[in-house]
Amino acid sequence: MLVDFNFRVILEYLPLFLTGLRSTFFIAVVSIILALITGIIACSCRISGIKIIKYPAIAYIEIVRSTPLLVQIYFLYFGLPTLGLRIPEIQTGILALMLNSGAYIAEIIRAGINSVDEGQIEAGVSSGLNYVQRMRLIILPQALGVTVPPLLGQNIVLVKDSALLSLISVMELTRCGQTMTSERFMPAEAFLTVAFFYMCIYFCLKALADWSQRKLIFREAY
Amino acid sequence: MIEFKNVNKWFDKLHVLNDINLKIPKGEVLVICGPSGSGKSTLIRCINRLEKIQQGQIIVNDTPVHDKSTNLTKLRAEIGFVFQQFHLYPHMTVLQNVMLAPVNVKKLPKAKAEKIALEKLEQVGLTEKSAAYPAQLSGGQQQRVAIARGLVMSPEIMLFDEPTSALDPEMIGEVLDVMVNLVSEGMTMCVVTHEMGFAKKVADRVLFMDEGKIVEIGNPTDFFDNPQTDRAAEFISKILTH
Repeated sequence: MLVDFNFRVILEYLPLFLTGLRSTFFIAVVSIILALITGIIACSCRISGIKIIKYPAIAYIEIVRSTPLLVQIYFLYFGLPTLGLRIPEIQTGILALMLNSGAYIAEIIRAGINSVDEGQIEAGVSSGLNYVQRMRLIILPQALGVTVPPLLGQNIVLVKDSALLSLISVMELTRCGQTMTSERFMPAEAFLTVAFFYMCIYFCLKALADWSQRKLIFREAY
Repeated sequence: MIEFKNVNKWFDKLHVLNDINLKIPKGEVLVICGPSGSGKSTLIRCINRLEKIQQGQIIVNDTPVHDKSTNLTKLRAEIGFVFQQFHLYPHMTVLQNVMLAPVNVKKLPKAKAEKIALEKLEQVGLTEKSAAYPAQLSGGQQQRVAIARGLVMSPEIMLFDEPTSALDPEMIGEVLDVMVNLVSEGMTMCVVTHEMGFAKKVADRVLFMDEGKIVEIGNPTDFFDNPQTDRAAEFISKILTH
């Protein structure tokens, strides 16, 4: 079996895979940053007492979480142009990943904030700190500790979800595998290589997660 | 200084404060006791509006606490609050815990806030722990830091909600000592506690609550030696013999 494995063709296609890797990396980084911003905004709206921003945020989060990512991508890619909005594939893809991850990140941050003990808030209230000060000085620093690991997990999910963009012909890593398969008909070599590169990204992100855990997370010294 | 006028509060159907009328003059030390669920914690939590009331009025230094127009920040800065579970900020050092409100609420410069904070830490005997984190302290030390955190805003009133109930018996004394010192400085204090030794030693009046009502209020000697109601007599015999 292994003797049939063609390493030469992988080397031959390496430049293509590296372009794909760069593209996946670019899409992931941009989407993660935008998704974080979206998630923070959506979460702020969600936990605010103001109904006019709270309910749209709930609707957004629930719609995204209750539908498959592929349907969301297809809606943006095929649906938006019929509604008169035309944007290139790669932007469509980033938009889809941003909206999708943003909703999950909003819930991750909300869970972190809710995990902070009620008594902490009361202590802040009774010393006269206002809402913004309590958030900034007391709640968020403690919420961060429990939020960072699931946030990085969500980012890993996002990287792997970006493979779905191959279906709207964004030239990313998975799409490169498809290209090589259709040109040479060597799916085993193509997709093993693709998988290998995803693993590389995964381990980089995991190393980053471990590092940030040591650096950022406040641990109570029991 | 603190006045309750016909205060009523409900948690859903539970009538937790039932027509409370009470005047606490400046400099008084009031000990509040009663069985659990009698509304004693709720009573003091209403004074700085940690709880809302549905009827009546609470007035602190001529300010109606539960008015919409009340400047809560200013009001709360004048009232120190000490919780049963301390509620120190676990991600900050002792000094940062104590400095937080002066820097952010009073907008004092850091150096000045630090100087005041260190004075208050000295007052509770914990200067050497200023760089430690709360989790590195014993329960008694944590509660003393919490008291310093309340004192640092130079409040006129200190409220204590069962300050020693979460402590090991051997640490109760160090916290009570700090509180006794506050009494000698003339601080107005409302203390929810079952420490009857403390009540007898420093309280001006003892208030006994049951089912949301003030059952009895009087000076400690009368209250303990000669309770006027059966309910109070029963309560006293229980806590003294346990």
